[in-house]
Amino acid sequence: MARSARPKRLNLALHAALLPLAITALLAYVGSVIWSIRISLSSSKLFPRNDWVGLDQFQRLFETDRWIVSLQHMGVLAVVYILGVLVLGTLMAIFIDQQVRAESWFRTIFLYPYAMSFVVTGLIWQWLFNPTLGLQNALRLMGWESFTLDWTVQPDMVLYAIGLAMVWQGSGTTMAILLAALRGVDEEQWKAARLEGVSKPRYYLSVVLPQLGPAYATAFVLLAVALVRTFDVVAVMTSGGPGDASEVPAKFIIDHLFGRNNIGLASAASVVMLVTVFTVLAPLLYWRSKVQARQNAGH
Amino acid sequence: MTMTMNIRMKQVAAAALISFGAIGAAQAQKAEVIHWWTSGGEAAAIKEFATMYTKAGGTWVDTPIAGGGGAQARTVMANRTMGGDAPTAAQYNYGKQYEEIIKEGLLNDLDDVAKKGNWDKLLPEKIRNAVKVNGKYFAVPVNLHNENWVWFNKAVLAKAGAKEPTNMDEMFAAMDKVKAAGGVVPLALGGQGWQEGITFRGVLLATGGQDLYLKTFKDKDASTPGFRKAVETFKKLKGYVDPGSPGRDWNLATGMVIEGKAAFQMMGDWAKGEFVNAGKTAGKEYGCFMAGGPKMPYAIGGDVFVFPKQKSADSAAAQKKLAEMMISPEGQVAFNNKKGSIPIRTDVDTSKMDICAQAGVQAIKENRLLQSDNELLSPDAKGAFEDAVSKYWNSSQSADDAIKSMAVALKR
Amino acid sequence: MSTTAASLATPTTPRGQRPRRPLVTPARIGIYAFLLTTSAFFLLPLYVMVVTSLKSPEEIRQALLFAWPASPQFGNWKEAWSSACIALACEGIQGGFWNSIRLVVPATILSVFLAALNGYALSFWRSRWGDILFGIMLLGAFVPFQVMIYPLVAWFRLGGFYNTYWAILLVHCIFGMPVLTLLFRNYYIAVPNELFKAARIDGGGFWRIFFQLMLPMATPMLIVATILQVTGIWNDYLFGLIFAGKDNYPMTVQLNNLVNTTFGERRYHIDMAATILTSLVPLAVYFFSGRWFVRGIAAGAVKG
Repeated sequence: MARSARPKRLNLALHAALLPLAITALLAYVGSVIWSIRISLSSSKLFPRNDWVGLDQFQRLFETDRWIVSLQHMGVLAVVYILGVLVLGTLMAIFIDQQVRAESWFRTIFLYPYAMSFVVTGLIWQWLFNPTLGLQNALRLMGWESFTLDWTVQPDMVLYAIGLAMVWQGSGTTMAILLAALRGVDEEQWKAARLEGVSKPRYYLSVVLPQLGPAYATAFVLLAVALVRTFDVVAVMTSGGPGDASEVPAKFIIDHLFGRNNIGLASAASVVMLVTVFTVLAPLLYWRSKVQARQNAGH
Repeated sequence: MTMTMNIRMKQVAAAALISFGAIGAAQAQKAEVIHWWTSGGEAAAIKEFATMYTKAGGTWVDTPIAGGGGAQARTVMANRTMGGDAPTAAQYNYGKQYEEIIKEGLLNDLDDVAKKGNWDKLLPEKIRNAVKVNGKYFAVPVNLHNENWVWFNKAVLAKAGAKEPTNMDEMFAAMDKVKAAGGVVPLALGGQGWQEGITFRGVLLATGGQDLYLKTFKDKDASTPGFRKAVETFKKLKGYVDPGSPGRDWNLATGMVIEGKAAFQMMGDWAKGEFVNAGKTAGKEYGCFMAGGPKMPYAIGGDVFVFPKQKSADSAAAQKKLAEMMISPEGQVAFNNKKGSIPIRTDVDTSKMDICAQAGVQAIKENRLLQSDNELLSPDAKGAFEDAVSKYWNSSQSADDAIKSMAVALKR
Repeated sequence: MSTTAASLATPTTPRGQRPRRPLVTPARIGIYAFLLTTSAFFLLPLYVMVVTSLKSPEEIRQALLFAWPASPQFGNWKEAWSSACIALACEGIQGGFWNSIRLVVPATILSVFLAALNGYALSFWRSRWGDILFGIMLLGAFVPFQVMIYPLVAWFRLGGFYNTYWAILLVHCIFGMPVLTLLFRNYYIAVPNELFKAARIDGGGFWRIFFQLMLPMATPMLIVATILQVTGIWNDYLFGLIFAGKDNYPMTVQLNNLVNTTFGERRYHIDMAATILTSLVPLAVYFFSGRWFVRGIAAGAVKG
């Protein structure tokens, strides 16, 4: 759209209309990022201080066990959650796409957890994993004596419990995105493949899935953002315990911002998160915008 | 308690009532109080204050915030105070939790209330020091808690044929018997960082008493052989805890002891509030001993209230009224009986208190008070130390590595 | 995302149904077995939640998770709603419900309206400033909220409205803006420019074109954005906890406080009843908006 010289009145209207956006973008987003960076370079504890301590907070941060551990946990959750959701979501989308009866029922069932709060998800799963009152005990009482499912109290299993709750909540969305993309795949390809004697699983693996690249990229970005924000479900389900076995970066930051009166350290941690997110996502976003540009050019 | 004492009590009480009446007549002052007392016994205790304040003509606005051993409540308090929306009063523990808020000049000092109430005479020296900053009173102490108690269910021990312990060595022996008898959890523990911290400090006192405690938290020295022994003993307790421990609330762990599902719990004397609430009597259904043994120094724990600066004169009056009420003899007795703690006044009748509280009263009389880790460490360092304790408890970390990370935490 | 905004505007019809296959071939059985097993995994927590919320305390102690209650105790729901204790206040979570309602309605209207306006201004009235702001918003969608919490707390404090209704209202507008703005901009970009030019020739001004032509035209997007915001704001916990202040705690915060108020033993039946009550609104939105909700998800995917 070419810019034409606009009368003053219109310019005024336009700028007035964009004022809320400008305030939000500049103050809330740019401003707070800059301010967080500033705080992370000071010795602030409970209140913001105006001194400079260089990278001390960052050094201290990376000497803090709990922080290192929380980063490792985010790595584990990235695999469990993102991979879990992508695999399960793909399977659900493909199976639903086989002209099954009651399709909308299945879609509804797979997606309803997404409508619920993470607080609710955390509570339900905490209860299911409770060793004395949850699934473990219920199945034992039903006669399966050796059944053990007490992940939330086992330090080396607790992350998988949280990952499972998150997969339960998030798979539906990925299924919806992939299903929409599957419906866009040309059916003639299957006819051609069948004539060549390709089996259905083979066809999906080597013909269909590669065409879903953009949809996968979308799903991945959404999942990655959700992962970085993981807080509610951990706070409700385990409070980061047992010990620090399910600590996550978002919770580390919130704890230090408020409970530990240490905004300097917390800001340093949040700056680390910011940098991480943009290093991971930047190439992906770049690639997607390229693909989109190509598609739009082809229209 | 002697006759004269009782008469004096009545006079004090009468005087207090008159003064309350006078203030109360002025107008219904609204007082919003932030605290984290959300368990049964605690709620009953704060209700005593609320009722008294209402009777005196004020309006009590209760803002209880559950979670994290008070961390969440302190968060709300700090944020609201900085945000110019401070409550009338807020609960803290003795120690450094509110130090920085004072530095920022956001709290009112209580010097005139203290002068009027003669706090210099009234309060034991170490408690006085704990609520004074730069020579000014900034908090009203409401009770004295000791976090290092051990509670046990007498019937459970009798059934297992175990002798009732008076120190930690005997406790291990008793737990072995309970474990052998089966069916009952030897040690009820709520697996949350702060509770694991309490358990550790109990073991620390039992291992090396006051000297080791101060060496650790005051000199920030984690390299002593005593400390190592404490660390190892602490981990031994793990064998007596049930798998459902992680994340459990402290009062649910106390509930296990009350119901005979568990034999022991290491917890502060606020746990007694739960016993009282369940209609149990110390010495009858349950017993207690100090983790460090009968002559243990009494680490000053417990609660204080601070009063943020307010814009209106009305709320300043409400703050004074609250402070006076909280430290008044009848306020102290009513509150502490429900809370399971002991009064900070030495001039109230303590003869009706149970055997566990009597031990605490004795400690004050003998001046066996000890600065607690809350006073000696910044919230940040204490938090980091408890992180290290909690990690060691909940993982297969070696004692060496645990001591290393505890040492780093102390230096914060 | 090849699902452009234009295709979002017209409800997609599923592919033409082909003649159904015979039900009983091994492959078919496998397909249904997978779908039913997965459904069980998704439904089990809901079942447990409902059953638990109707049990008596005695049945809770028996720990028979799957057992249907002998006589459903609907009183649990009532108690969770109006008389369960959150610390000292024994008024249930109804207060939280009304707080959430009071928050969701204005916050949704305001944030969706602003986003529509942004999208319109950014796509039809291109300006260098607008493009820069839009670039910031694109990136803003990915900024971890942790970075922004403390600065926002500090600025609200300066403004003197921290921990008030306005603080939480603003926070939701701020955090909703990037995605919603993207949605509307992409939607309007797909609108043929001739339409806009014709409106300009007819002498329409900035606001008139917006209110009379472009806003009504974006109805599908308005619905999608509304659904996104209603469920998103209703389900938020952290912002409510930090910004809202006690008098405005949303239902999720009240729920967590209720669960953490324990007297002697956990009352799972009440906790679960409160949990169900907290989920009712977003679930209702989900069930009644059906396909729109799914499209909202697809729309949320236009990021980037």
